Amino acid sequence: MAKPILEMKGMCKRFGSTVALDKVDLTVYPGEIRGLIGENGSGKSTISSIAAGMQKADSGEMVFKGQRWNPASMVEALEQGFGMIVQEQGTVPGISIAENIFLGGISQFAHGPFIDRKKLMAAARQVLDRVGMDSVDPALPMGLLDMQDRKLVEIAKVIARAPDIFVVDETTTALSQIGREKIYELMREQKAADKSVLFISHDLDELLATCDTLTVLRDGKLGRSFTKDEFDPDLIRTSMIGRELQGDYYRSDTQATCRKEIALRAEHLTAGQAVQDVSLAVHKGEIVGVGGLSQCGMHDLGKILFGAIKPDAGSVTTGSGAAITSEAVAMKQGIGYVAKDRDVESLCLSASIQDNIAVAGMERYAVHDFLILGGRERKYVDQQIGELSIKCAGRDQQVSQLSGGNKQKVVFDKWIGRGSDVLILDCPTRGVDIGVKQAMYQLMVRLKGEGKSIVMISEEMPELIGMCDRLVVMKDGRVTKEFTRGPEMTDTEIIKYMI
Amino acid sequence: MDKNDKLAVSYRRRQTLITVLPFLALAGLFGALCAIVTAKGYRLDMYLKIVFNEGVVLAIVATGAVFIYTLGSFDISLGASTLFSATLGVLTYNATESLPLMLLVIFAVAVGCSLFSSVLASVFHIPVFVTTVAMMSVLSAVAAQLITTYGGALGGISIPSEVVKPLDKPLFKIIVLVVFSALCIFVFNYTKIGRRQKFLGGNPVCAQLTGISLNKYAIIAFVMAGLGVGIGAFLTLVYTPSVTTTTAGSIGMNIIVAIVFGGMPISGGARSRIYAALVGGFSYILLNNILMLLVDSNAGYGISQIISAVFFLVVVFVTGINYRTQILPR
Repeated sequence: MAKPILEMKGMCKRFGSTVALDKVDLTVYPGEIRGLIGENGSGKSTISSIAAGMQKADSGEMVFKGQRWNPASMVEALEQGFGMIVQEQGTVPGISIAENIFLGGISQFAHGPFIDRKKLMAAARQVLDRVGMDSVDPALPMGLLDMQDRKLVEIAKVIARAPDIFVVDETTTALSQIGREKIYELMREQKAADKSVLFISHDLDELLATCDTLTVLRDGKLGRSFTKDEFDPDLIRTSMIGRELQGDYYRSDTQATCRKEIALRAEHLTAGQAVQDVSLAVHKGEIVGVGGLSQCGMHDLGKILFGAIKPDAGSVTTGSGAAITSEAVAMKQGIGYVAKDRDVESLCLSASIQDNIAVAGMERYAVHDFLILGGRERKYVDQQIGELSIKCAGRDQQVSQLSGGNKQKVVFDKWIGRGSDVLILDCPTRGVDIGVKQAMYQLMVRLKGEGKSIVMISEEMPELIGMCDRLVVMKDGRVTKEFTRGPEMTDTEIIKYMI
Repeated sequence: MDKNDKLAVSYRRRQTLITVLPFLALAGLFGALCAIVTAKGYRLDMYLKIVFNEGVVLAIVATGAVFIYTLGSFDISLGASTLFSATLGVLTYNATESLPLMLLVIFAVAVGCSLFSSVLASVFHIPVFVTTVAMMSVLSAVAAQLITTYGGALGGISIPSEVVKPLDKPLFKIIVLVVFSALCIFVFNYTKIGRRQKFLGGNPVCAQLTGISLNKYAIIAFVMAGLGVGIGAFLTLVYTPSVTTTTAGSIGMNIIVAIVFGGMPISGGARSRIYAALVGGFSYILLNNILMLLVDSNAGYGISQIISAVFFLVVVFVTGINYRTQILPR
């Protein structure tokens, strides 16, 4: 067997009293795509970020390309051939796409004190083409790009340095199917060049399809490692969470069901090029899915339904006929919105769990809709924390300290606690582990049973098929097909109308 | 005790320490001032009176300003607003000899200036900092013009001291401070307004998507700050019934330092506290007076300013360390 490209032995890391890594060993070989899987907070990002120079381990040894490895920064690691695409934002919004791609390496385009912009743009163009961003001008400011394109630029930034090992940390959750295919292709190219990939994801299917080996982490400890011939989804899931999943994962019923009354109606919505003449009706007790490629307009549609984007034409009304013209009006009418970009749009990371949950539900506990009394507020928040079993040190804990899954539970609590009748969920299971995903799905089924309505916008076809009563497929801002829950709602049928 | 409990205990201990530290610093500075004044053989009562009178004005204006700072905004024009309000107040009294009218003008001008800044920022989408820098220049210039026109370049303008002398009593100032602080604490901690402002300061994008209007709460914040400026301008006249071009000149910058000294992050958000302005305001004045006593030379003022600035940087660095270590990778 070839010598490993990366060896990590006995890695330990603590954050205060939290043990993030407890004597974890990890080995990656040339030409290998190694998957890393585990629940939120299991230590996947911590171990990969230590290897990539983002932070230091408390103890442990690392060897990279046969040399002792202890990079001082991510830039140094990247220069030495260790590239990592981080889970959250890793780009700088105020500078151009090209400057982002060559951040830290811009001096290669220098002529004395000046930068050869033409050369810089040409080099950026080449890399952007490799990640499928052929229509994007590298001179544009980074801040103009949406989340998916920002992520693609991050990928471009890493592959521009042709790294020997390439860490993909939950990157695919931010990408549409096309974006995902692109990154799988880059991984395969890396493997073909006898280079390595460390692939972190919560999506077991994509890990099984892409990886040669799979390592499970649990509570900061090394779990079992699987080779390709040992891949067994049930065994891997059990190894991840330390128990078997109880109950159904998706909905168990196969027929569409809902009440007669309409909860939310959108008529002839048009907003720029993003949404074109979209009409939609959501009934009480119904889960309506909206699917498509990331740029199909579905995310904008979610914001329009919540009043966050004013449409150029068309209207959104509730079942009682009230027009939704702003976020505040939507909330008054019992509508809640879970945004795709959780850390930016759904949570205040510097605030506590209490602040985040309480802010949306003041009407529920404020005296005369104005006066906030601590006892009533705490009781309300504790009830919500218990409702979704958020794993936390207490309601005062800062949200930034929570794992992705528990952060998402806080977001759900924020809207469910205030008794929202209609929930618009944009990628509700993005970046959450399998156990939390199941909890979310079970919650959605319970809410449906209570007569609540859900608009579920998702880039994950299995969850749309598994959860929705109806599925609206969008392409280029328009609705191309509507499916009703049943045998004909299959991924092969759906994809025909997405692409 | 399981892992989560331990984490909770260590987190609460750290939070308690952060809360207690500014109070300990205030007590330490108070003790230091008393010790230094006594050691130098100066009159302690005179120094305490100076600290109290300067501290009350700074604490009140800073308390109102907390509402703006909570939003993550920055108003550097509050000193100039105080000067401008006091100037128009003096001119009004001299023209009408009516104390109620003077008060009315002071408050109307203070709140009006604040509102004007906030409306400029929200209607024209100009960053608040930019509008307040412009306001600072305009208000200082107009006030200076009025003062030199009506009082001469060196003399300044004044009202008869007997008009406000009955109010120049510690009890009156304490009552004003307590009432205004209580109002601010109530609005900030016990109403939807304060909670929403903290959330807006923490993440405006998320706040907007939670139905919170930035413009509405920015206007409320500036009104509260305007009230603080109005009271500050009036108390300035009560202490010294004259206005010169340098009156309240440094308040705008002192507020920033005071708020940070009081333990509030300069970026606002969830960790904003009203008491930060009160504790920080008095701490800053105490520190200034201590430095003036210790650096007893012609260069004293400059050196004490430099030491204050270093102190400020240290406090920001320490609060920054605490914030940074709380962020864990996922």
